[in-house]
Amino acid sequence: MDKEKAKEFIDNLRLFFQGVTDFNRKSRALLIKEAHDEMDDFILLCFGDLLGIPIPTTYYSLELLPLIAEDLDGWQNRMISRLYIWQEKWSDYGFDA
Amino acid sequence: MNKIIFFGGKGGVGKTTCSSSYALYEAKRGLKTLLVSTDPAHSTSDIFEKTINDTVTSIYPNLDAIEISGEKESKKYMDSVRVSLKQIVSPIIVQEINKQIDAASISPGTEEAALFDKMIEIIIEKNDEYDKIIFDTAPTGHTLRLLSLPELLGAWLDSLIQKRSKSVNLMSMALKGQKASEKELEKDEVIKVLKRRYDKVLSAKKIMMDDRQLSFIFVINAEKLPIDETVKAINILEKYNIFVSGIIVNKILPDNMKDEFWLSKKEQEQKYLKIIAKTFKEKRIFTLPLLKEDMKADNLEIIADKFAVKI
Repeated sequence: MDKEKAKEFIDNLRLFFQGVTDFNRKSRALLIKEAHDEMDDFILLCFGDLLGIPIPTTYYSLELLPLIAEDLDGWQNRMISRLYIWQEKWSDYGFDA
Repeated sequence: MNKIIFFGGKGGVGKTTCSSSYALYEAKRGLKTLLVSTDPAHSTSDIFEKTINDTVTSIYPNLDAIEISGEKESKKYMDSVRVSLKQIVSPIIVQEINKQIDAASISPGTEEAALFDKMIEIIIEKNDEYDKIIFDTAPTGHTLRLLSLPELLGAWLDSLIQKRSKSVNLMSMALKGQKASEKELEKDEVIKVLKRRYDKVLSAKKIMMDDRQLSFIFVINAEKLPIDETVKAINILEKYNIFVSGIIVNKILPDNMKDEFWLSKKEQEQKYLKIIAKTFKEKRIFTLPLLKEDMKADNLEIIADKFAVKI
């Protein structure tokens, strides 16, 4: 019982400091961006033919369609507006924050 | 002979004749046999003079047949995707996405993929029900593509699973400060779908590459082009670890030729038979004669009896 209480206390303490300081904000944003980038690559491998890149396995990616349909539109826009690779890479470093 | 047997070869050499009569031979021997035609231009129903379609039909005692069609299978699959789309996604997006499905239905490779899926399904599901499963395949090029699919698909699925896991891991690190556990990864719907597909491909690959479960037999004629093509095809198949166990030389001319034209034909045939014996010396070679009449249901038994003598 004591052990559980202590664990709860430590957890709350950790959350408190995390909230007050939020040193991880920057790294968290980076991680989320990285996760989204990875997912964009994933969709590219599945539905590249929407951008005119023939993918021989399109047939098999169809069954994933219901699961990522919501993201597909946004993804297509992101891919099409990806004009300047330098600009995109520059923003990865996020000098603004 | 193994349980699963593929008959392949160049167009017009007699694949359907050989596979059908071999299936008949096994059925007459008392083995429960399934004859599967994967050729988009089906001819098993013509040769047996019975209606065979995309459901298993009994055409002879102990012998069932099915003609699988890539077009129908892909339509079934796409309809199922449409249904699950409707259940999950909002109607506006469904409309957008339907375009994507329509585009896929005409993209190259779709029918082959559907055919391959059905083939795997038959191999896995009918394995216990039948003693022999015999495939009458399409001409060489088509079949080679079909059989090389597991290799391609395996690698693709593997990289997709990696990518998705990485993304889920990164997300979990951002939100919870630690990587996603094995269980969380398994619960992810996308990974679930991919894993299911991957396992299927893997088990098909295992059966196809096992030379104690699957035999591949090439049908050729004693002529230059079928021999050349078969040499190339065997090399490709063996690169994918599919072992070719036998060669059937079909349409051998009778011995008692009189006419000058046929005499020289026969002479040429003898020459090619020697070449065949040399080229395919590690394989078992059977010969089948050219019949007086063209192939029909009642002639099939004649050929089937020949198998009984030779195998």
